[in-house]
Amino acid sequence: MTIERTDLQHPAGDHGLVATARFYWVIFGTLVLLTVLTVSASYADFGQANIVIAILIATIKASLVALFFMHLWRGSAFHTVTFLGAFLFLALFMLLTHDDVRTRGDMDPTYGGTVIPRTGQVAPGGAPVTSATADMVETARPAPLR
Amino acid sequence: MTNVSEPTNTRAELGGQKSARSSSAFLAHHFATAAQQLGAAKLGMWIFIATEILMFGGLFCAYSVWRGAEPEIFDQAHHFLSKPLGAANTIVLLFSSLTAALAVRSAGLGHRQATSAYLFATIACACVFLVVKYFEYSHKIHLGLLPGHCFGHPGFSEAMRGGREVGTCLRLDASDAPVMPEWLRAVDESGRVRVLPPRANMFFGLYFVMTGLHGIHVLVGIGVLSWVLVRNIRGSFSVQYYTPVDLAALYWHLVDLVWIYLFPLLYLVGKPE
Repeated sequence: MTIERTDLQHPAGDHGLVATARFYWVIFGTLVLLTVLTVSASYADFGQANIVIAILIATIKASLVALFFMHLWRGSAFHTVTFLGAFLFLALFMLLTHDDVRTRGDMDPTYGGTVIPRTGQVAPGGAPVTSATADMVETARPAPLR
Repeated sequence: MTNVSEPTNTRAELGGQKSARSSSAFLAHHFATAAQQLGAAKLGMWIFIATEILMFGGLFCAYSVWRGAEPEIFDQAHHFLSKPLGAANTIVLLFSSLTAALAVRSAGLGHRQATSAYLFATIACACVFLVVKYFEYSHKIHLGLLPGHCFGHPGFSEAMRGGREVGTCLRLDASDAPVMPEWLRAVDESGRVRVLPPRANMFFGLYFVMTGLHGIHVLVGIGVLSWVLVRNIRGSFSVQYYTPVDLAALYWHLVDLVWIYLFPLLYLVGKPE
């Protein structure tokens, strides 16, 4: 397997091809530019899109690091599969967790725990009341069931 | 294995008695070739990286649940984190990733002194990162911006703590909802006085646990990179064998990867003012 690229030097030992130092500096420069971009974008108000832009730029940066600093671009495809597999299972984990948590009730605006919207009582299995106010909640009189 | 690009590049071909001895010094008896050994080591490292992603993933999941439930609190609380310090630390970590990658490159080309210099630069950047983190943490602790029941703790910020206003029950009806208790009053990064509700502790809980776990990884990275640096100075590595440099750098890039996500999610969330 040969990779034809001008920015590559001789094969080094058993570890394969090595890119030029300049190549790594260019990647670093791009990463710094993206950092400046994401910080400046955080000072502008795009509403709900702010978080999307931040995550998008972070993903581009992470891809650059994984592809070029971690050498996924010229390494074994199996390493890429292993790496991306972790994100696949993480996505599954997040999806199922959100599906569970979001259907249990609403967040109480004062105490922070999950409550049943109709009765105001602590929702079973929901997010716990924050520990900063836990002592208050213990003495609180529960609302009557309707 | 998968990395069998240059299987012939081993003992016999590199020739000479010296090379044969140095090769057998690193080649474990259960591997046929050095390439096979390297392939196994790299795959092992990538599997470790996958488990690390899943470990941090649990915290990112917790973050997404709490942020989804209370975006306003995150908006208010994140103004207590310093964007310039966070951005500076991001650049420091990115630079350390660059030097780690360059260390692997130098090791591959057999430039031992350059490898040492790059490894040293990486360790130095890691230390700078932790020093900045120390200043950030001490500022939060001083303001009482702490996780859990320590949030706004009198022992940390008695003068800044607001009065308690206790509601009688937990309910979301607007009619008799208790007034949100003023729990912690402090000056944020832009010099504005802000009042945080008690459950803002969740943001700082996530902040301390996520950056804390990441900080532990930075500490471990300093240890691993120092060990690799010492071995490099002693001359344990050659063009044929520098797997520890390669794998330590992979670990260090993972530490960088995690921070690339932590920085925007903690420092850059919410609406600008």
